[in-house]
Amino acid sequence: MSELMDKILAGKRESRKRLAALPFAQKLVLVEKMRDRSRLIASSPLRRRHKGAN
Amino acid sequence: MKATLSVINQMYADAIIGPYAIGGAIGATFYLEPVATYDIDVFISLKRVPGSSLVSLEPIYTYLKARGCKPEKEYIIIEGWQVQFLPASDALDREALAEAIETSIEDIKTRVMTAEHLTAIALRTGRPKDKIRITQFVESGVLDEAKLNQILAGHGLLAKWENFKHKYIDENE
Repeated sequence: MSELMDKILAGKRESRKRLAALPFAQKLVLVEKMRDRSRLIASSPLRRRHKGAN
Repeated sequence: MKATLSVINQMYADAIIGPYAIGGAIGATFYLEPVATYDIDVFISLKRVPGSSLVSLEPIYTYLKARGCKPEKEYIIIEGWQVQFLPASDALDREALAEAIETSIEDIKTRVMTAEHLTAIALRTGRPKDKIRITQFVESGVLDEAKLNQILAGHGLLAKWENFKHKYIDENE
C-alpha cells in the first residue's frame, strides 16, 4: 500500500475514533441529521429521474 | 430521538411493555461512530396471549395509535422516528434484553444492549450490514473478548464466529 493511502486510512480511523468517543446524545443528533439528509436525497427529483432512466 | 424515547419510557411506566433494550444501528451507535439509519429497533419481552402460544403487538399498537402514532409497514412512527418493536424471540434476545445497560440521553433514561450482545445478534442475523457492524465493533476495540466468547458459546454461534473471523478479520490483518 502506498504511503499516501496509509495516511488516508489512518486519518479515517482517527476520525471514526473521534466520532465514537462523542457522548451518546451528541451522536444521536448526528444520526438524525444523516437520516434527514438521506431522506432528502432519496426524495430528490434528480434521483427519481436518474432511477427512471435505468 | 429524546421525544421518541420519552414515549417508550411512558409505555413502560404504563405497563404496556416490560423492560426494553435498544439494539440495531442505534444501539451500536452507543459504542461506535454514528451511522445512518431510518429506524430504532426496540427489543421487548411480550406476554403470551392467554390460551395461546402466540404473542401479540396489538396492545402496543392500540396504545400508540390512541396517541396519534401511525403504523407504517413493520414500523410505527413515534415522534418522527420509525420504531420497530421486536419481541425477544430466543434465548440470545432474552439474555441481551436482561443484560442491557442503563444509560441516559441528557435527562431521558434508556437501555442499550451490550456491545457483545449486539455483535452476537448481528452475527446470527448475518446480513451484509450486520457483517460491516461486526467488523466495526472488532476494529473499535470495545468488545470484551472473554464475554463475547461466552455469549457465542452459550448460543451455539462459535463456529459461525470462527468462520466470520477467518473470512473478514484475520485475512485483513
